[in-house]
Amino acid sequence: MASVHLHELTKWYGKRRGIEDVTLDIADQEFMTIFGPAGAGKTTTLNLIAGIVAPNRGGIRIGGRDVDGLEPADRNVAMVFESYALYPQMTVFQNMAFPLRSPKHRTSARELEERVRRYAKMMKIDHLLQRPIQALSNGQRQRTALGRALVRQPDVFLMDEPLSHLDAKLRHSMRAELKEMRSQLGTTTVYVTHDYLEAMSLGDRIAVINLGRLQQVGTPKEIYFTPASVEVARLFGDPEINVIGARLRSKPDGLAGLQILGENIPIGVPSDVVSLLNGAETVKLGVRPSDIEIAENNGAGNFHGLVYSFEPLGTKSVLTIDASDGSRIRALIDGHRTFEVDRRIQFRIDPRSLVFFETEKEGFLAKSRLNRQEAGDG
Amino acid sequence: MAELTLRNLTKIYNPGTPAAVEQLSLEIRDGEFIALLGPSGCGKSTTLRMVAGLETVTSGEILIGKKTVNQTHPKDRGVGLAFENYALYPPLRVRDNLAFNLKAHGVSGREVEKRVAEIAKYLHIGDLLDLKPAALSSGQKQRVNMARAMIRRPAVLLLDEPLSHLDARLRVQMRTEIKRLHAEQRFTTIIVTHDQLEAMALANRIAVLHDGRLQQFDTPLEVFNHPANEFVAGFLGEPPMNIFEVTMDAGSRLVVPGTDFTLPLNDKLQRLFGSRAGAKFGVRPWGVKVSSTQSGGSVPGTVSVVENLGDETHVGVRYGEILLMASIPVTDRFKPGSKVQLTFNQDDLNLFDATTGDRL
Repeated sequence: MASVHLHELTKWYGKRRGIEDVTLDIADQEFMTIFGPAGAGKTTTLNLIAGIVAPNRGGIRIGGRDVDGLEPADRNVAMVFESYALYPQMTVFQNMAFPLRSPKHRTSARELEERVRRYAKMMKIDHLLQRPIQALSNGQRQRTALGRALVRQPDVFLMDEPLSHLDAKLRHSMRAELKEMRSQLGTTTVYVTHDYLEAMSLGDRIAVINLGRLQQVGTPKEIYFTPASVEVARLFGDPEINVIGARLRSKPDGLAGLQILGENIPIGVPSDVVSLLNGAETVKLGVRPSDIEIAENNGAGNFHGLVYSFEPLGTKSVLTIDASDGSRIRALIDGHRTFEVDRRIQFRIDPRSLVFFETEKEGFLAKSRLNRQEAGDG
Repeated sequence: MAELTLRNLTKIYNPGTPAAVEQLSLEIRDGEFIALLGPSGCGKSTTLRMVAGLETVTSGEILIGKKTVNQTHPKDRGVGLAFENYALYPPLRVRDNLAFNLKAHGVSGREVEKRVAEIAKYLHIGDLLDLKPAALSSGQKQRVNMARAMIRRPAVLLLDEPLSHLDARLRVQMRTEIKRLHAEQRFTTIIVTHDQLEAMALANRIAVLHDGRLQQFDTPLEVFNHPANEFVAGFLGEPPMNIFEVTMDAGSRLVVPGTDFTLPLNDKLQRLFGSRAGAKFGVRPWGVKVSSTQSGGSVPGTVSVVENLGDETHVGVRYGEILLMASIPVTDRFKPGSKVQLTFNQDDLNLFDATTGDRL
């Protein structure tokens, strides 16, 4: 068990930036997901920790020990790959015991047996030890791969998109299973993914990386509800967050009002939020599609629009709306309603859900107030 | 534009091997948007290629309008094709690739320009019009491909996984645009896809295929809410439907043997279950209500995993080998180890035959 500390870690591949100046503290036993789009620098970061590639600049400490220059085998980290890399004709027991049979470990037969059984039990595969890998389900294979990494008792687990080769449905169940096992691991884990649901579900914290640079580090809640930039906000959520230009207006009652979507709707902004806006007259507003509600009746606070497209997805539907000023926004609505294209509709925006960004630099300014999910405890 | 009818359409590649497509009958109305949905190898692309005329038919009939086209040359069938690797002319700019067939059919220069501009707007390729195909990414090629198929306003538009090469963000945008385009133009359209969300979002009706056979042909919501069998139930929906084996005890309650999952059934479901030894039980994550208080017929359990996903929260309750997933309101709070009671809306429950998988 160990903490991992990355200090100004930089890796160039010729003229192409892998990552630059990544500084990140991962606590002992923490599960850190590294999330970003393809080519962001996620796998480079993982490979640097593993020692598979060497940095141009910066350093890595594992458990307080400087590991720069150490061979991968001497860092006591365990990689879990996308393909699991199990030996298909061997049994679960043989696969799990494999790392302990290397000369480096010199484990006695008795200890080997004891360790394999202990971790097999933890992974709930102790009843499968004599089965060949070929006879296992995908979930059981995942457990075996994790079990095999565990028997080595590494300081750090490194996982590179272990679920990405599964089809979408299986990924959902395997993610839940992995999260369930996670509490048993108790080992510091760095987990790379391009799937925001995996990043949110599994991570104690998420490091968002793009174009080789760290964009934000925080708990899933912090990143979802207080994204550091429009860019980060857009990476989390499907359909992605709506970003709407807005003008701030003073109102007689002292509240600031927002002029958005070509309409003068009295969405009040509390003064403590206004004070965070640095005197900006215009802002960009982030509004999640699930925070837009279709109004049943006429109302003073309603926005007006035309249905551009309607896409049922089962439990939920995506409604794309052309607002009065021509901007196009998406709402995620209840699955039992249907809408015809070009129908006039009215909608409301949940004033509690607004995120304020700078107009030009698109950095985070403020949020309207506590969101629903945050209103509760941890 | 036209209706399209498939009658007992069958394709056998090698005599003695299983049919790639077996006795497929579909009646597609004029202007309708149909999705052929299924995993790889289910026969969906073979079906599309037979309609296009790129594949011979072993037996059965294809009618476009009222006319049998089995023997008609592909170019005379009035179909527009956007296939995954349907080549663009390399020496021509995108603009000319789009215009090529229109000009060949004697459409006036002004009309060609108008249609190019129109389709470019929908498919977000306005700034690509003066590039040559070699300069395009695979996603861009795919959009140009689709534009070229649509611009001719064919009787039937055939789309083979048109969004599969696009990144997630663009895929969602393009899905919306295709849907809009169809709402305006009402091309009779068949899309082949393995992506259930794409099929649900776009199609008026979905034909679910498995091993060359039609499993169900109905509206997205009907297929989603009343799946014809276990395969369809498991193929549609994310997170997937919880499906597991159950038996019935002496008190007419569903039981997962070896666990404390015991669920009293209403009369209708009892009747459907009948005198079977066992069946498969299916419930979508949204059909499970999780509460900390007991109520009539609730099933006790212990939360073993919680996933906070921003807009959604998922809770997993373990019963032996089964991890039963529930989608709950984000305002509800449970932790691993919480003792909970699960309730089920009995109208949301599915029972499938243990052997055939058919809906009871």
